[in-house]
Amino acid sequence: MSNNNIDIVKVIQSKLGDKVQIQLGQLGTAAINVSNGLHREVLKAMLEADEKTGLTAISGVDLGTTLGVLYHVHTSNAFVTIRAEVPKDNPKIQTIVDLIPGAAFHEYEVSDLLGVIFVGNELKGHLVLSENWPEGIYPLRKDVKATEVKLSPAPEEEKAPDIGKLVKIIIGPQHPALLEPEKFAVTVDGEIVTKVEPRIGYVHRGIEKASESRTYVQDVYLVERICGICNACHAYGFVAAVEKILKTQVPERAKYLRVVTLELNRLHSHLLTLGHAGLEIGYETLFQYFWRDREPIMDLIELTSGNRVYASLMTIGGVRRDIKDVDVPKIKTTLEDLRKKIPFYRQVYENEPSIKARMRNVGRLSREDAIKLCVVGPVARGSGYDIDVRKDDPYEAYGEIPFNKIVYKEGDTWARMNVRMDEVEESINIIQYALDHMPKGPFRIDVPRNVIAGESISRNEAPRGELFYYVKSNGTANPERVKVRTPTFANIPSFLQTAIGENIADVPPNFVSLDPCFSCTDR
Amino acid sequence: MIDIWLILRILIFPGFAFILLLTLFCDWIERKLEARIQNRVGPLVAGPAGLFQPLADFIKLLTKEDIEPRDAKKTVFKFAPLVAFTIMVFAICFLPIDGASVLSTGGFSGDLIVILTFSTVASFLLFLSGWASANPYGTISSARVLTQFLGYDIPLFLIALTPAFIVGSLSIFNIASGFTLASGQLVPIILLAPWAFVLFIITMQAELEKDPFDVPDAESELVGGVCTEFTGAKLAFLHLTRDVQIVFGSALVVELFLGGPYGPVFFGVPAFWYSLWFVLKLLAVVIITEYITTLFARLRIDQVLTANWKILLPAAILSLMLTVILVHWVYPLV
Repeated sequence: MSNNNIDIVKVIQSKLGDKVQIQLGQLGTAAINVSNGLHREVLKAMLEADEKTGLTAISGVDLGTTLGVLYHVHTSNAFVTIRAEVPKDNPKIQTIVDLIPGAAFHEYEVSDLLGVIFVGNELKGHLVLSENWPEGIYPLRKDVKATEVKLSPAPEEEKAPDIGKLVKIIIGPQHPALLEPEKFAVTVDGEIVTKVEPRIGYVHRGIEKASESRTYVQDVYLVERICGICNACHAYGFVAAVEKILKTQVPERAKYLRVVTLELNRLHSHLLTLGHAGLEIGYETLFQYFWRDREPIMDLIELTSGNRVYASLMTIGGVRRDIKDVDVPKIKTTLEDLRKKIPFYRQVYENEPSIKARMRNVGRLSREDAIKLCVVGPVARGSGYDIDVRKDDPYEAYGEIPFNKIVYKEGDTWARMNVRMDEVEESINIIQYALDHMPKGPFRIDVPRNVIAGESISRNEAPRGELFYYVKSNGTANPERVKVRTPTFANIPSFLQTAIGENIADVPPNFVSLDPCFSCTDR
Repeated sequence: MIDIWLILRILIFPGFAFILLLTLFCDWIERKLEARIQNRVGPLVAGPAGLFQPLADFIKLLTKEDIEPRDAKKTVFKFAPLVAFTIMVFAICFLPIDGASVLSTGGFSGDLIVILTFSTVASFLLFLSGWASANPYGTISSARVLTQFLGYDIPLFLIALTPAFIVGSLSIFNIASGFTLASGQLVPIILLAPWAFVLFIITMQAELEKDPFDVPDAESELVGGVCTEFTGAKLAFLHLTRDVQIVFGSALVVELFLGGPYGPVFFGVPAFWYSLWFVLKLLAVVIITEYITTLFARLRIDQVLTANWKILLPAAILSLMLTVILVHWVYPLV
């Protein structure tokens, strides 16, 4: 990329240097404090300078008399946080949806949970809270007491729609294609989808709020419960953010052990999705094969962490368990066995005529749209948008391990699944390399229980895409604010766009190619 | 005068009870085969190697609560599954199973057309059952059932005519007996027109709504398809209708192409050997179709229709033309 050398901070400084306050090295490459309204100017400058500018997340923070609105923006080589504040009694701020269309969902979430009004993109109803949530109570504000929340009676359920020319098919909250509860009202004209209306929040557990009343150590295990599949990534995201506030240097061996855990996570997640896609297109044999081969990986997770599903391996200051030398050959042979099967699966995905018929040219997302909608992970890489946090912003031992960034240009369901197929092999390589080059030494260090006041962010590449954590501490044993932006939350807007105009039968394969995880989305 | 043997034939062998047992056995074979191909074990608990599992499932469904949606068209909703099942069994009664049909006749001229019509009517009743259930999934699934069987009935009829042309008769008995060579020997149609056999198997796969043509009950889009609102005994009969349909389709392949129940008789009564050959040939066809099912993903409805109108229909017409040429100029020579 030619524009990889742009120093985005210098661009902002030259354009708006006198109006904004730049703090280098904070919250990514730099934190930029702006007064109300100027955040749009900064974003415009960034969008002009770098085409790969996209929004990662918007964090809302209760600062006492004001509400902080933090725009976390990534560019091709930097990560910038734009910090704006709005008064609590008049929490209005200009929307950025016209600049970055993918920001709509992020703004809705901040509106719903903190009551910030984004002028030009106001939230009607609720995004994650239930329909009978009382007006004017915003759960993430500090002055809310649980006793004040009085739920009104549950609203009437939607009546079954009339059977006319347009049929509204409700996919979810209970539906065989969605293994988790979320609702998509799909309007079809014959067999063609004309409209998709999402409703998320069915499994909203308030983990962000709950983590504010628990200690940091407890929170590691709480955030791990956000998602069963990418659990290690969630624990790592939180741990890494806290370590940045503490300025802890993790031992070298712990860095490699973390990489092994995270990659095992990715392996079993990708195998799960590749098989699940088979189920969605009625290819049960493929599903059974993939899930059979996923089982040994689950055994490896049990071998390395003691638990089959929740690894619970990450801890602030390192990892909790070491990998024994006697176990290394077993891990290696299991991975080699899996590697031998990959050519067969790749051939199935590339050449099987019925898979090609169902996945080729389904759910097409162009590179431009991928950038505009701020998609992440395999969805972005399947559209030729080459973002991978492991390469772009290396964490732990990823900077020292050679591996390839998998990018496909087709942008359809087939490409997204093939990105995952190739990443399975890359993951095996990474784990093998990490096991071969594992440094000796301690695997954890002790850290203070109370975290000094400060704030930090962490990014890591979960199986489904970039996972973002923002942690703010106030010097006590409990964090002040924990913000989680999960990959599926960022990817849902792309589905709403690509499903329109396609056949109703294309909805399941298209949707599963995002590898949607709703317990992640809702938190 | 009531003929007691005729009643026994209708009720027990080769009539109702035999067809029912054969259906459940074919279901077990399918499930076991599919499971083994997919690295699973399949039915295991009820009976030796899970042999009684289909029967257990059927009885279990019969005992379940029977719920009718408020908006459903009650009469159609109630009777469509039962009538569909009855018609399917009735259609099988016309096929020669132990050398004669269930009604112990030698059939009549043109019964092939009657049998094919019965299968269409049964499909239509499946469509009605989904349409009457007042459920969007059922409605869309019904529309797909209709689109699919209307499309695939044409090539099915055309290809079914290939053996009829070769034998020169529309009677299923004559077709099942095979073609008489110049030497006086009878040979099954598959040896004379193997291409038609392949085409017929593919079309049958679509008629029976099996992968890769099972769009009407694509559970990832349409939940249970036409069965979505059905529970209890009605659901049991819908499932049974599907299974009987599979037996019927396979039996039709046996009758049209594989020489029906006829085969060598070694000793004793011919009826025993004929039944045995019939069942063995039927199982061979069931295994072939189930093997195809496990190998493919489900196509989309528009792809299914494209496959019908652009590939199968022209192929069926070509097959018929080729047959006419062969019947006139080539087969009389062999």
